Amino acid sequence: MSFSDPVPARITFPEWGRLFEQIPTDLIQQYHYFRKQAVVRGARVPEFERIADCGTRAAEWPWSTYLFPPQTFAIYGSRHLRRLKFDNSLAALRMWGFVMNETERLFRARQIGKRVIATMGDLGGTPPMVLAAGNTVPFYPDCIWWVPFTNESTVLFDAAAAMGIGESACYSRAALGAFAKRSYFPDPALCIGATGASCDDYSSVEQLVAGMGYPVFWFELPLRKDAGPGSCEAFACTPAGTEYQTAARELLVAQFERLRRELSKALDCEITEAALNASIRQVNEIRRRIRHIREMVHSAPAMVFPAPEMMVLEFGNLHFYSDISEWQAILEHVEQTIEQRLARCDYLGPTDALRVVWVTPPADPLLLVFAEDLGLRVVGTEYVINQALSEIPEDREPITALAENLLNASLVGSSCARAQSVIDQAREYQAEGVVISGILGGSHCAFETRLIEEYVSRELDLPVLAFDVPAPAPAVSSQVRTRLEAFAELLRARRE
Amino acid sequence: MTKQGRVQGVRGSRVQAALTPRERFGLLVIDEPQDRVPVYPLVTSHAAFVASMKLQEYCTRGRSMARAQLTAQEQYGHDFISIFSEVGIIAEALGSGFEYPDDDLPVLRRPRLNSVAEVPLLAEPDAITAGRFPVYYEAIEYAYEAVGDRVPILAFVPAPFTTALHLVNGEEFLLALTLKPESAHELLDRVTEVTIGFLREIVNHGALPMLVDPLASGSVISPRTYRDFALPPERRLIDFLHRYDLDITLHICGDTMLMLPLLKETGADLVSLDHVDLDEARRVIGDSQRLIGNFDTSRLLFKSPAIIEQEVRAMTKTGAASPKGFVAATGCEVPVRTPPENVRAFIRGARPKSE
Repeated sequence: MSFSDPVPARITFPEWGRLFEQIPTDLIQQYHYFRKQAVVRGARVPEFERIADCGTRAAEWPWSTYLFPPQTFAIYGSRHLRRLKFDNSLAALRMWGFVMNETERLFRARQIGKRVIATMGDLGGTPPMVLAAGNTVPFYPDCIWWVPFTNESTVLFDAAAAMGIGESACYSRAALGAFAKRSYFPDPALCIGATGASCDDYSSVEQLVAGMGYPVFWFELPLRKDAGPGSCEAFACTPAGTEYQTAARELLVAQFERLRRELSKALDCEITEAALNASIRQVNEIRRRIRHIREMVHSAPAMVFPAPEMMVLEFGNLHFYSDISEWQAILEHVEQTIEQRLARCDYLGPTDALRVVWVTPPADPLLLVFAEDLGLRVVGTEYVINQALSEIPEDREPITALAENLLNASLVGSSCARAQSVIDQAREYQAEGVVISGILGGSHCAFETRLIEEYVSRELDLPVLAFDVPAPAPAVSSQVRTRLEAFAELLRARRE
Repeated sequence: MTKQGRVQGVRGSRVQAALTPRERFGLLVIDEPQDRVPVYPLVTSHAAFVASMKLQEYCTRGRSMARAQLTAQEQYGHDFISIFSEVGIIAEALGSGFEYPDDDLPVLRRPRLNSVAEVPLLAEPDAITAGRFPVYYEAIEYAYEAVGDRVPILAFVPAPFTTALHLVNGEEFLLALTLKPESAHELLDRVTEVTIGFLREIVNHGALPMLVDPLASGSVISPRTYRDFALPPERRLIDFLHRYDLDITLHICGDTMLMLPLLKETGADLVSLDHVDLDEARRVIGDSQRLIGNFDTSRLLFKSPAIIEQEVRAMTKTGAASPKGFVAATGCEVPVRTPPENVRAFIRGARPKSE
């Protein structure tokens, strides 16, 4: 049972097909999801602790393997995979297989008695508390917005339109179609719907989901303010350095207390402080690892792990792709792979690639592939999920810690703060340009893009390329293609 | 809308939007209930008839085969696209000679081998370019680009036992099973290798392989012969495909009643049955495999739409009780010139009346 990573490269779909043939069947059988469960004192405990004999339960569930090539998922409808390029390491294959397998995993979770909870709109804030309830699987239906792109399909958009949300809303409307279809995830035992300083498009999705009869618990997000001159409110700072008005923290603490009561009632369990602390520790372990991976990748002399894979990793911070323990193991694998590459100076691209910070996740992963083909290299990201990158304080009462952490969120703060994050990263990693891929229909993009563009140009004198990501298609649109090509030319010209 | 800390109450039954065939199949293979039973009259060459296309064109041009399949699927609304002409495709790639009548299916004229002892004479076909393999790949690509997000694309692949009977004179091969079993095994092993190469390319092109072994039928061989000669290569192919986590259908024509317990040993995820009692099949197969079947195609060809609809409804009711899941299908391929109104009657019978 051995497989050695080949010389690092970005490879095509058929190339993964050929490489997969060299992977021994024993190795495929080695990786399972939902394997780290334990019974302690007669009750299932949350999956906080690493269990030594993790393979024992997995053997009972032959469906829980996931180390499969892109071919498998293409056959089941993910057509876009045929056009992407992938990192050729085993760790990357493991990551893709795990992520692409998530729909099945959610249904299997329910089949084996786990409680599936939809966390919506808060982008990483509530899953630690859901996990603390034990035997639960939190997931973000919001993330279904990738599916129309990976499938090159309007099926979910059409279903959303039939429910009342059409093209004027952002791509997150795909989640509404998925709720209506009931075939992308099982009916959640509870939906937690963030409102307030959240995405207004997605908020309307949540309201329609509630109207369909799903049990929705509303979770209010406060707006985070900066301490302006003459402000008479009390302000404080999160450990990550984000300034906030203390009233916002108090509101969030109350929201988390309400959520704790609701989860206890809905799931018939007690969420103890010890369980919350354990959950926070495990989530932090993942966040630390992803931060480390980001730092290694962004500060490396050349591309050491591709941008599409990095985007997938960052989003894994939100809900761990529905199995936190296995996700943790995959991250370790990725981290080791990158460390080895750095130690050997094994890169996937030249050292003179054009360094850019990418703002707002491009719903279409093909854009990142195309950008890398053009010689761009992503050395910083602002994907509106940075609160899921910062560690939750472990030195205070857990509910307060969760509230403070959520106050780091891009979405609840000002455009200026978001722009500052872009500027900081551009400075740190010597970026030569900034790409903003707006979300068509996303109302915050409409005004925020221009503001970020202005701040970045003013502070750093860097070129900024901003465009809206077009609807799902088999290829990068000719207009976006031309603009990215011209942007790459401009960055090269500025070096001369 | 109530937001202040309360859970909004459940209002009656939830909306269930219509599923695409792909979504429906996706639920079936992960053991989840679907909005309705998937419906699959095995529309293969019949698609050419629906599309007013000559069979020679259908069998020899990938784009035409796909266009005909898409036309038929659009007209009938069944749940799968079938990439298939006939079971000689691998034998042809290995050198057997076929003739292509203008408007009929290809006919085997010259088996490649005179006897099983000639196995070493078989050349190594190129899995990409040999015979009509490219026809399949082109058909898959075309159909996949057109509807791959909504409809599963099934590529029928003959299993080695059936292919062997297209490489050697049938009588000669069947006699060899008794008189020269080592040579027969050698031939089957060789064909299995070639079939794996073909399967690999099908997977790379985006179709879900479906194994068909019509000549391993109980109408042709005994269960013992099936166990000793047909089953092992089937099992090998299914093991190969399970490395990809694909859900594999095995179709065997004719009467397979006595072979039912053996079908479990193939490892197939779905078994497509022809002339068997569905109740009995359900009892024997139990919850180990999903059932596909099994409306008599001669009745589909000759009976009136009203009778077909009624009988299919009864069959679907029986099949739907299968513990692992069921696909309402014909027992074999829809005969080429079946009246389209009969196929529509089949589909009406398999779907809920409300649809």
